[in-house]
Amino acid sequence: MLRVEGLSRRFGGLIACDEIRFSVMPREVFGIIGPNGAGKTTLFNVISGRFKPSAGRVTFEGRDVTGLSSDKIGRSGIGRTFQGVHMFREATVRENLRNAEVIARRHNPVAYLMRRKTSRNVGYDAICEAVGLTSHLDIVAGNLSYGVQKMLGIAMALVTSPKLLLMDEPVAGLNPSEKKSAGLLIRRLRDEFGITILLVEHDMPLVMSVCDRILVVSQGKPIALGTPAEIRAHPHVIDAYLGEDYEFA
Amino acid sequence: MPRYIWWLVGAALIVAPLLSGNRYFLYIATMVTILIPMALSINLTLRLGQLSLAQPAFMGIGAYTSALLVMNLGVPSGFAILAGGLLATLAAVVVGPIFLRVKGVYFVLLTYSFAQIVNLNFQYWTTPFGGNNGLFGIPPISYPGGDLISKNTFYFLLGLILTAISLYIMRRFEKSDSGMICDALNEDEMLCLALGSNALSWRIAAFACSALMAGISGGVYAFFIGFISPDSFGFQLSVDLIVMNVVGGVSSTFGPVLGSVIIVPLLELLRDARQYQLLVYGLCLLFFMLFCRKGLVSLVWRGLRRNSFGNA
Repeated sequence: MLRVEGLSRRFGGLIACDEIRFSVMPREVFGIIGPNGAGKTTLFNVISGRFKPSAGRVTFEGRDVTGLSSDKIGRSGIGRTFQGVHMFREATVRENLRNAEVIARRHNPVAYLMRRKTSRNVGYDAICEAVGLTSHLDIVAGNLSYGVQKMLGIAMALVTSPKLLLMDEPVAGLNPSEKKSAGLLIRRLRDEFGITILLVEHDMPLVMSVCDRILVVSQGKPIALGTPAEIRAHPHVIDAYLGEDYEFA
Repeated sequence: MPRYIWWLVGAALIVAPLLSGNRYFLYIATMVTILIPMALSINLTLRLGQLSLAQPAFMGIGAYTSALLVMNLGVPSGFAILAGGLLATLAAVVVGPIFLRVKGVYFVLLTYSFAQIVNLNFQYWTTPFGGNNGLFGIPPISYPGGDLISKNTFYFLLGLILTAISLYIMRRFEKSDSGMICDALNEDEMLCLALGSNALSWRIAAFACSALMAGISGGVYAFFIGFISPDSFGFQLSVDLIVMNVVGGVSSTFGPVLGSVIIVPLLELLRDARQYQLLVYGLCLLFFMLFCRKGLVSLVWRGLRRNSFGNA
């Protein structure tokens, strides 16, 4: 579904990503982990179009999307959520979702004039139910707790009905019970919405429990790729990242 | 104060110049109606989170285009005004993609330079622009019923229509999806991009609309005054428009309207004391920045709200 080949990104002399290569299968939950500064976020930003790659190729469903701008990538069926909270603070949850849909549908003024009437049939109810926003619909987003705000971020990405969802640290800053439900949510997104997921995360228990396959990056280089069990036992990973007596929760 | 009082004040402001029969009064009122669309056009760019100093240039393009079309080619003045507006829009569409890539101070500087370049062109090319002497003898618009309505009344009514249309469009825009999208771009561009929004194209569209407003108001201005010179479309006008926005309040469409209604007559009153104008501006800006950042219109809103809660 998503294929990344020899992707590199340099910032001056610093090589943030070096020859990264992996591919994500349809309906897979694919995790990327690594120590701080390993280049995970850079990799993520290159795939989502914020940075242009220095070398390499990204293809999505057979289409070359290398170096496209982030809005084009967004329109090609790749959604993304952010590490921090991104939303419209003064609008209610309901308005946020509606705005997200309108912004996506009317992506430029010409599209605004041409497709006035056709509104996509978005399963707002299903999305709210899955993400757990049903009881917060009329609350102003800025007044929600951090965890719910992050869920709203996910819901807004879902409104554009992406085929692939890039999630940047979806559980960073959440409390243990929120983390648990976020883990369940990620599974549900795959199982019920049929969305393929690529996530970058620090939280080992979550990554190990939800991901089908994991890529470990260290100092910009891929050092291991495999199922959670394989990664846990991988000598390089233990050296570079996890440490001898890492507890997986 | 109850809401209807404000409607009455508005109506009085419209009717008074017509009834007074005082030409000078009518002249000032017409200038207000021509400058309200200008203040609104700068307000539109402020809504994108950008301060454009190019609006006088767009007004100048509209004014010179329509004047030259009528004087040299004998185009009907209505079409000439429209053509001037469209040419200003075209200019915005051409420079917009370059300017709107940068933000903040850099955008301000770019639009400032653009305005200066346009203005220097008006000054330099004696043909067709007349150089620093400007263009004079622009024929007034001929309109039906010339013996019933005086020329001054006609221009005032024209200005009122112009103001009403631009105010209506701005209100519609504010409440529409496109207004929401522009606000969203301003609030969280990263999110909009991730959702697939082509931010630049939206900004260009809004910038083009602001140029259209400025261009048309320039055309009306040219026919009203009958004389245009580069001086009228210089940096000073930008400063005036910014002050109108700040004094009235930028967050509401009525802010710039209120600002124009106050500032334009004030400028006329202070015409003899032109050298103190910047001082007055400075004090005004200081006062509003420190004590009333949302402008006078916020005081009006507060009055209305207190009333609706207080009486309940």
